[in-house]
Amino acid sequence: MKRGDSLARRLLAWLLVPLLVLGSLMLLQAWIEARRTADRAFDRLLEAASLAIAEQVQWQDDRLWLDLPPAALEMLATDAEERVFYSLVDRHGRMITGNAELPGDAREAISDDDTLLYRDIAWQGLSLRQGVRRTRLEEWQLREPFEVRVAHSREGRDALAAELWRANLAMILAMAALAIVALLLAIRTALAPLTRLRRAIRRRDPRTLAPLELRLPRELAELRDTVNDLLARMRRVRANQERFIGDASHQLRTPLAGLSARAELALRQDDPARWREALVAMQATSTRTARLAMQLLSLTRLANPEYRPELTPLSLNAIAREAIREHWTACHRAGIDLGVASPAADVEILGIDWQLAEALGNLIDNARRYGARHVTIHVGEAPPSLAVEDDGPGIPPARRRLMLRPFHRDRDDLEGSGLGLAIVDGIARTHGARLVMSEGSGGAGLRVTLAFPGDTP
Amino acid sequence: MSPRRPTMPPLSRLAGCCLIALLLALPFTTHAAQSLRYPATPEGDAASALVIHGALDLPQVRPLLDAFHRDHPHVALHYRNLSTLTLHERFLKTPGEADVLISSAMPWQYRLANDGQAQPLDTAAARRWPAWARWRSELFAVTFEPIVMVVNEAIIERFGEVRSHADLLTLLERQGESLRGRVVTYDPAESGAGYTYAIEESRLSPRYWELVAALGEAEAVLAETTGEMLEGLIEGRYLVGYNLLGSYARERLADHPQLEIVVPEDYTLVTQRLALVPRLAPHPEMARRFLDYLIGERGQEVLARETPLGAIHPSLEGPGTAAALRRQRGEALRPIRLGPGLLATLDDLKREALLTRWRREFTRRERR
Repeated sequence: MKRGDSLARRLLAWLLVPLLVLGSLMLLQAWIEARRTADRAFDRLLEAASLAIAEQVQWQDDRLWLDLPPAALEMLATDAEERVFYSLVDRHGRMITGNAELPGDAREAISDDDTLLYRDIAWQGLSLRQGVRRTRLEEWQLREPFEVRVAHSREGRDALAAELWRANLAMILAMAALAIVALLLAIRTALAPLTRLRRAIRRRDPRTLAPLELRLPRELAELRDTVNDLLARMRRVRANQERFIGDASHQLRTPLAGLSARAELALRQDDPARWREALVAMQATSTRTARLAMQLLSLTRLANPEYRPELTPLSLNAIAREAIREHWTACHRAGIDLGVASPAADVEILGIDWQLAEALGNLIDNARRYGARHVTIHVGEAPPSLAVEDDGPGIPPARRRLMLRPFHRDRDDLEGSGLGLAIVDGIARTHGARLVMSEGSGGAGLRVTLAFPGDTP
Repeated sequence: MSPRRPTMPPLSRLAGCCLIALLLALPFTTHAAQSLRYPATPEGDAASALVIHGALDLPQVRPLLDAFHRDHPHVALHYRNLSTLTLHERFLKTPGEADVLISSAMPWQYRLANDGQAQPLDTAAARRWPAWARWRSELFAVTFEPIVMVVNEAIIERFGEVRSHADLLTLLERQGESLRGRVVTYDPAESGAGYTYAIEESRLSPRYWELVAALGEAEAVLAETTGEMLEGLIEGRYLVGYNLLGSYARERLADHPQLEIVVPEDYTLVTQRLALVPRLAPHPEMARRFLDYLIGERGQEVLARETPLGAIHPSLEGPGTAAALRRQRGEALRPIRLGPGLLATLDDLKREALLTRWRREFTRRERR
């Protein structure tokens, strides 16, 4: 697998980082908890020792008296050989006896009765845990408050805390190891369908466009369906192309066969007048064939989705007038009345002039061929549009969409390539315009409109 | 009183001073300021010096220092023999003067270490040192000295063997009349060592108080030092001596066969000299080396062979070692425990309470 971006790596990182953060937090928590537990356990010693001392406190010779039990001090030292300190303090804060003048605890006692306060202190450079027991002598006549302060160094606590923490550490590390193994397995399992999909795609015959048949989890099934949709579209496109190529070759073969037959026929004659006749006919046919080839070429170019021509601002009025000028002679000869209806103001759009001229030419040609008597070019203002209207037989609404397919002809008896409207449609798409076919004014004939986007600039 | 002891409130300072004076006036140290100097060999540099303050008489410490000096001739050694009291006070006054402190005043030495005045020694010898003979790695017991009784042959001939505290108690109870004024022991009120033994014995068994009462009944003489007791015993003024320091007795009585040294069979207190390296020692490196030597096989061997002090090192056997004494007395040995209990010994009120009780028991007969 390539280093760099990888789904497995990404998943691992996103799962591992929180896992590690979580693990660190757990370790920290375990440490705090271990210290607390150790303190709780060892505070019992402070409690017991201070109690043992407090029990020996008496009132004697008008003063506090203590017969210090050595066991009370021994109690404070565990195997860790802690340093031990104690002091007995009277109601005025004077030290009665002790081996260290330990600081008092300023905190308020919870109750007036026997209370014990614990805290960590630093005393002469030593870090100690101190317990202060506030209690009082209860004699017949006397209630004398006093404090027993005991403290010891932290070695035992630290050792216990470290031991507890190590136990936790081992457990947390074991859990982390298990989690990581589980994570790796999970990632492998989760990404396995992806590998299957990749293998399935790689194994395919590069020429086939058959849909992928593969059982996949939902997220990947969507991907598979999308790929299958794409394949289906490609299949349709290819079918279209194949039919187009078939049609085109058929269209080209017919005139070429005609040319060949005509030439063969003429060669059997000896009369130069016949030859000439044949040559004239052959020239007409080859001209038509050349035009057909031109149309096929421009249709191919228009159908190419990569074709992005540069649009320039141009005047629809000028385009319409140019079309009239170009086709007027041919129409006039066929007895067709060709006219233009344009607004007074110039209508400008962004477009390609030769394509629009071609579109108008095709539409006029169609109208002429299908027997119109009057053909009018309309220039619309808002939205900008070009329309060609004729009074021919028209097309029933149900068949209009069919007319846009290449080589589709409404009637087979008439000459023509069947490419005209398909080309117009391609030009309309290049301009981002909408192609609308409707009835002509007065309910007869056909009106083909190219409605351009937006207003005039 | 030194300014380094802020733990003592002013009111009780006077009392504290008295206590220290009493407690530290231990009998087994010479009070005259004596010192031993070993000059460094010429090639030695000035940095290699070592100052030792000890409560150990010169004849006993000399073999130890000789051997150390042979091993480290480049070190200028200075040993000051001080009484336990002087040693302690001098340390409190100038804690940066001595490199090693050796003293038999166990509670005081323990208190210094407990207060964090000692620095740890982390060597192989220190780690091997038996746990009962050290505290943390700061305080090391280096000697093993039993507390013994001394009995005159005449007593044994008349009344039979005295082998234990129980025997002594029986003897005192039955023959109190004939022993009147002829028994000697420490005065716990005047002698720190006597007080320490009294507090330890009273913790060991309540029967101790019967013994005190019996001593009182026999009108035992109270002495302040082992030396004083030994003199009286040699002169024949006393027939029985109770609670003498074994190491001194053995040396002093070597040529007095009429006086038998009895290491009690039921229990024998064992006192130890404690050594530590102060935190502010001026030559810590050399100080640690000396302490390491003291608890190492070599130092301990010198201690066992050439002094009566008793060596602790577990690998040493034969006379003058703890191992030999253990084989002889086994379970009966009660080394004074090196632990916080020693701090209780230093408690003013505790001392007063114990002495009051002691006096009461001692004078029980008079009250009757």
